[in-house]
Amino acid sequence: MTESAGAALRIPGRREVLRSHKEKGGFVAAVFPIHYPRALLRAFGILPMEVWGPAGVNTTPGDAHLQAYTCNIIRNGLSFLLSGGLDEVDLILVPHGCDSLQGLGSVLLDFIKPRQQVLTLYLPRGDANDAGRAIGFFADEFRSLYKSLSAITGRKPSEPELLSFIAQEEAADQQRSVLFQQRLRLPLTDREFYRVLRSREFLPAEEFVRLAQETLQQKVETSHSGVPIVLSGIVPEPMEVLDAIWRAGGIVVGDDLLCSGRRLYPPGKDEDPFPRMAENILLAPPDSTRGSSVQERIEHLQKLCEDTSARGVLFYNVKFCEPELFYLPQIRKSLSGRGIRSVEMETDLSEHLPDQMMTRIEAFLEIFQ
Amino acid sequence: MSALGSLRYHLNVSLLGNAYLRLDRMKLDRQMRQPGFWKDEHLSPPLRVSPWLKELITRHYLKGRHANDRFKVAWVTSGGPVEFLTALGYYVLYPENHGAMCGIRRVSEDLCGHAEAAGYSRDICSYARTDIGSVLSGKTPAGRLPKPDLLLCCTNICQTVLYWYQVLAHHFRVPLILIDTPFVYSEARDHDVAYVKKQLEHGVEVAEKTAGRSLGHKELKETTLRSKDAVELWKRIIETGRHRPSPITAFDEFIHMAPIVEMRGEPFTVDYYAAMLDELEERVAHDVGAVRNEKKRLLWDNLPIWYRVRQFSTLFAKQGVSLVASTYTNAWGELAEHIDPERPIESAAKVYMYPILNRGTGDKLRTIRRMVKEYQADGVILHSDRSCKPYSVGQMDQRRRLTDELHVPALLLEADHNDPRCFSEEQALNRLGAFMEVLEG
Repeated sequence: MTESAGAALRIPGRREVLRSHKEKGGFVAAVFPIHYPRALLRAFGILPMEVWGPAGVNTTPGDAHLQAYTCNIIRNGLSFLLSGGLDEVDLILVPHGCDSLQGLGSVLLDFIKPRQQVLTLYLPRGDANDAGRAIGFFADEFRSLYKSLSAITGRKPSEPELLSFIAQEEAADQQRSVLFQQRLRLPLTDREFYRVLRSREFLPAEEFVRLAQETLQQKVETSHSGVPIVLSGIVPEPMEVLDAIWRAGGIVVGDDLLCSGRRLYPPGKDEDPFPRMAENILLAPPDSTRGSSVQERIEHLQKLCEDTSARGVLFYNVKFCEPELFYLPQIRKSLSGRGIRSVEMETDLSEHLPDQMMTRIEAFLEIFQ
Repeated sequence: MSALGSLRYHLNVSLLGNAYLRLDRMKLDRQMRQPGFWKDEHLSPPLRVSPWLKELITRHYLKGRHANDRFKVAWVTSGGPVEFLTALGYYVLYPENHGAMCGIRRVSEDLCGHAEAAGYSRDICSYARTDIGSVLSGKTPAGRLPKPDLLLCCTNICQTVLYWYQVLAHHFRVPLILIDTPFVYSEARDHDVAYVKKQLEHGVEVAEKTAGRSLGHKELKETTLRSKDAVELWKRIIETGRHRPSPITAFDEFIHMAPIVEMRGEPFTVDYYAAMLDELEERVAHDVGAVRNEKKRLLWDNLPIWYRVRQFSTLFAKQGVSLVASTYTNAWGELAEHIDPERPIESAAKVYMYPILNRGTGDKLRTIRRMVKEYQADGVILHSDRSCKPYSVGQMDQRRRLTDELHVPALLLEADHNDPRCFSEEQALNRLGAFMEVLEG
């Protein structure tokens, strides 16, 4: 392995970014997973800060509202909100990503009624064949969200302004793709690499672009020698999972995670900003939560393995995540039939990675060594 | 669908099957009329239409057993817009209903095991595991299920069905019609309805292509009218539960709801529910309660615990407790007035967005409150169903509101609708026992 240069990269913390944005007169929105139009929020001066849990939160406050069989991303997120973790944000956006997120949005609106206004957004479902119908609907969803955001902020960004923010977000998404393409040449551990990637969850697009470019400048000629794998699933939390992969001699070269790889949004084509933002999301890589077909997901994963020369796939799932769980058996069987080994692990977003999981990661990677 | 296949179907179903089922029904009718037939001191005898129900369900599955010989077959989610498929002549199978049947017959655990052995997690819906287990093993209490030519999945009950049907589409390699219904947090908006309508129109095109024939407006209108009639009758049936004593319990409704789910749009369904309503009205006129000594009345929220329906029915009746209504069976009756046979697709676009499962948690609480009042319920049991998140998330707040604001005792009962391994018998009975004591004051 090459020497790590991750320490040289300075990534501001969420609080720091939030306060800096608010000091400039901006608004901040806490955004629950998964898909939403970043550019639309930014056009209203709202900085989205994504809430993927976080891991290690005391779930007692959320447990008073959600059953134990609800996934931890939702229960941790609600607990974080109820324990004051989101007190500084101005509004909460709960996109409809699954039955549990639907329930969270509804419970917030109907019963908990936090101080901040809660907005929802419906994500249309279907495989690639349905994208045409879905784009029109999603564009209308964004128009509806525009009205709500306008009422909250008192602003009315014009179409050219919207298109300018879209261009900014598309550039940031493009940088994220480049980071993946250059992964093996970057002198970063997996954890460092993902710290950069996941800063997109809270950094303004322009700052993320700067960070990505700074990261890419550290490119070296010699590449990593670890066992290349694809990481699939929801979110790499707790982040120790990335350390475990790295220590066991692996390196994540392909990403099919919901929080990152499945949000490598391609640039849209439409000149109208609303359908264009819909295209960004709906034409992204196949995703269980968007209802992609099993075949689409198999083909995508196979291509990802081929393009990155990955030796295997690690499916890292959050407990009780039905969208992921349904697809796994057929995907794994098909990948196995094509000679691609895989392993499935499940986390509950606890503070520490269980030793048993580290052992399984080691055992999986040893197969290739 | 060869001539030989068609002949086989007519012989097995139209001639032999129907004759046998008619004879069996007559035999059961006779048995039920015999003095001493019913000995339960707490529950009234089953409804006289029960043998007819058995005939309908058995014929439906018998027809299914041979359906690939005679019809195009569609597998459909329980809240799916089925009218255009029925009008196109499809045989329609509902895996969820089949799952419920497996639960009642107590074979769901075995079938879930087959799905789990193939890698499906125990954390996914037990209906889905039952169905996938049945598909993979070929086992079913119905003898044999027909293979689908088409799948129709409507997300108005949950997103789970979408992933489940993607699994089925991949397994069977058949077209999947998706009717994606935006969740109604408060009111359905114009673009929601337009989106669903477009999908329905596309669904009709796919179904026509698979069936090899065009959908006639007249057939669709007639099917929709029969659906509306059946739904209206079902609504009146469950509303008889408002009478004291209630002539029917939700446990009865769980069983008698099969035709409204899987035979909606058929003429015999309308006839059946008309006869059932007549019988219930007769019970109302004579103050015959389904629970003989009705002392307390309860409302049930969420799906039944299928493998404990009979046990709970007896347990409640022994305590003089009548489960007079449920939000679950009510869901199939509450949208009748919005079905418009003159505008079948347009009205379906809105109707199929509004089942209770596609509405907000606050709206469900309002439904529960209304039903508590209308059915004069003394308490509510909220089945916290591990396999049904859209129905269950929100129940903790709903229970608190019912208790604190409406002063209605409400119990959260942890279980799973189809997987008995997620049901703790002793704990459930203890909690129910304590709840009954609270009710008695």
